[in-house]
Amino acid sequence: MSQELTQEDEGIVTRLRANPRPALIWLLGALALVAVEFGALVHLVTSTLPWTGTIELPTLLSRELIPNAGYQLPSGAWEETFLGLAPAYAWALRVGLVFAYAFAWLAWLWYGYLTFRRHYRFANWTPTDDRIDRLRDHRWGQFGFIVVVVFVVLAMFAPALGPTTLDKNIINPYGHEVQYFDEDVGEVTTASVGTANLASQSTGTPGQNYGLGSYDEYDRFHPLGTITNGKDMFTEMVYGARVSLFIGLFAMGLACTIAMALALVSAYYKGITDLIIVVTSDGFASLPFLLILIMLGQVLRSTWIANLYNGAFLIALLLGIFRWPSLWRTVRGPAFQTVENEWVDAARSYGQTPITLMRKHVAPYVVSYLLIYASLGLGGVIIVASALSYLGLGVTAPTPEWGRLVALGQQYVPTASWHISIIPGLAIVLVVTGFNALGDGIRDALDPESESESGGGEAAAAGGGA
Amino acid sequence: MSRLTYFAKRIALMVPVLVFGTSLTYIILYAGPINPAVAIAGANAPADQIRAIEQQLGLTKPLWAQYIDFMINMFTFDLGQSWVISPNTDVSAVIAQRFPRTVWLGFWAILIPLFIGIPLGFYAGLNPNSWGDYAASLGGIVWRAAPNFWLAVILLLGLSNSEQYLFGFNWKTFIVDTPQLIGAPPLNNLTNPTEFLKALKRILPASFVLGSASLGNELRIGRTAMLETKNSNYVEMARAKGVSDRLLVWKHMFRNALIPLVPVITAEATILLGGSLIVEEVFSINGIGRLFYQAIINGDIPLAAALAFIFVLLLVIINIMQDFLYTVLDPRVSFEE
Repeated sequence: MSQELTQEDEGIVTRLRANPRPALIWLLGALALVAVEFGALVHLVTSTLPWTGTIELPTLLSRELIPNAGYQLPSGAWEETFLGLAPAYAWALRVGLVFAYAFAWLAWLWYGYLTFRRHYRFANWTPTDDRIDRLRDHRWGQFGFIVVVVFVVLAMFAPALGPTTLDKNIINPYGHEVQYFDEDVGEVTTASVGTANLASQSTGTPGQNYGLGSYDEYDRFHPLGTITNGKDMFTEMVYGARVSLFIGLFAMGLACTIAMALALVSAYYKGITDLIIVVTSDGFASLPFLLILIMLGQVLRSTWIANLYNGAFLIALLLGIFRWPSLWRTVRGPAFQTVENEWVDAARSYGQTPITLMRKHVAPYVVSYLLIYASLGLGGVIIVASALSYLGLGVTAPTPEWGRLVALGQQYVPTASWHISIIPGLAIVLVVTGFNALGDGIRDALDPESESESGGGEAAAAGGGA
Repeated sequence: MSRLTYFAKRIALMVPVLVFGTSLTYIILYAGPINPAVAIAGANAPADQIRAIEQQLGLTKPLWAQYIDFMINMFTFDLGQSWVISPNTDVSAVIAQRFPRTVWLGFWAILIPLFIGIPLGFYAGLNPNSWGDYAASLGGIVWRAAPNFWLAVILLLGLSNSEQYLFGFNWKTFIVDTPQLIGAPPLNNLTNPTEFLKALKRILPASFVLGSASLGNELRIGRTAMLETKNSNYVEMARAKGVSDRLLVWKHMFRNALIPLVPVITAEATILLGGSLIVEEVFSINGIGRLFYQAIINGDIPLAAALAFIFVLLLVIINIMQDFLYTVLDPRVSFEE
């Protein structure tokens, strides 16, 4: 007994020193993974530090190393692309490598956890082990996890994933040029990207449509076709994923912070404080929230805050402010229960301040509930944000947003250019389903008893009715 | 606590909510960064015209006096006049003209999911882990995740070319001839069966889309509720006593499985009101959702404020109705405390 206690007291550093081999292997894995993207990392760091110039080093996963933009000579050979591959293959290779890289990081994290569990953790078993084991059998939750990871990778690696770049394709098409083989002249000529875009619009008729996996007249490859103004849709989609993810995470993060703070305050002080928060929450919850959102968005339109991130910040902020009541209601009960425990009384009698007390002794027990409902609610936030940009109110052009793509292609749905509207819609459905599935998985893992719980959670998981 | 006092308490609690919502509307529209008079007259309007509008709207008074005026006007249903959408018409007249369409839309949007979602959910709960259960559950999940505006786009495509996609079934000439898919339904003559059918058929796609989120939720909750009721002691007991399966389902399980569904159904009220805006916009139904959207976009502040008040009021009424329904279905509710 006494020996075990001293062993625990030794801490993780001693255990690492006693058996460094597994940890070193794990660390080597991290170094290998960082080395691949070292150039991008240096670029990121040096571009944020003002006193050094931006240092450009070759990166393995960049579009520069595996270019997919080139032109085809009459002989059928491709110039300027990676190893002379057709652009479609070069692009697919890059996308494949990016995803392989992302999943390699995930595998590395998982390996690290297992290493820690096997070699360095003092306890043989913790409740977390059971939770993780439950997730390992939870196929539906795993499906959600994979969907969410793919979505996050799309957003994170957006610059490397698109067949063309945001700047070239969307922001400044006339400032860039594209090389192509002009059959009339018989030689390689250049045109501005804007001109090329004008010639590759998808506007419904089979003659004027660039669908899935097509090449346009300028030898550019479009994995998901082009949109009505000739811009590459896949590029729009990956940057749209970025905007959606930002809005979702920011709004849910803000809502969770507010909900947590208010739950702790009402659980600690109870009485009149609690009542005030209850009434406020009821007031917020019984407002027609989409209407208020539209109203506020319109009223604040000309202010500086609406220009941050092309309106995405304002939408995220408002969504966060209006999402807290439902989250708060789910954590209020657990917070009240936790405050009743003896250790809270003990901590209070030791003279701990209310803030420390709540942060250290109550919050950790409540946070898992927030995690469940936040992941369930994230899908709803994404839907509302896309609905607003569908109406032309949310994220402003030219920042890509999936909802606006649906609106853009709406009139072409029955025609050859159906992809403009259908694919972003399917993407939204998939991502929202993924977040709901992940939320279900987390809930079953953290709290297997609560499966039958209805009401709040189900409503939180709803699409938001937009 | 008796059912009546419980109910009175619920109504009393709704008053602060109503005041809160109306105040918030006032703050956003009148105390916010926009000047209503400029929004109405346009940025290039001459100064004296703007001043005239300010006079007429009472914007020259101090803010607190304006606020009190506003609240009194709203709560006495003196909603003022529209300025941009239909100039110098009473807001109440504009709303009254468009209100029935939204009610018609909302009514079916609540009813349709009830008659699709709950039976499907109960079916799935009665046959758990069968293929039918998997199909229904997955359908509900995906349906719930689909954005309304996108569903509307798809549905319109499907129905406008129905004979092409649905094996020769022609939606437009189905039962009654409705050549137009979108637009406001004719509501003048609902007592005439043909006219009623026409009005119903015109609203069905929109209501179906609007109710889609509720449909998915009701399916899921219905499934869980039925599953739980099925495994509860009193049902086992009744089964042991030899109650027939049919009677067991209808008499012992149905009503109890309905109880958890009530808050879900009425929690959709917020969603229905907000969603009506998008659905009305896509289906070009000139209801109050679309009116609100146009009022906001065009800067018709008095109209928008009045509509926001109406929406908050509607929500509060729906919430009270939910409580009423709840106490009727589950008498224990009123005795909790």
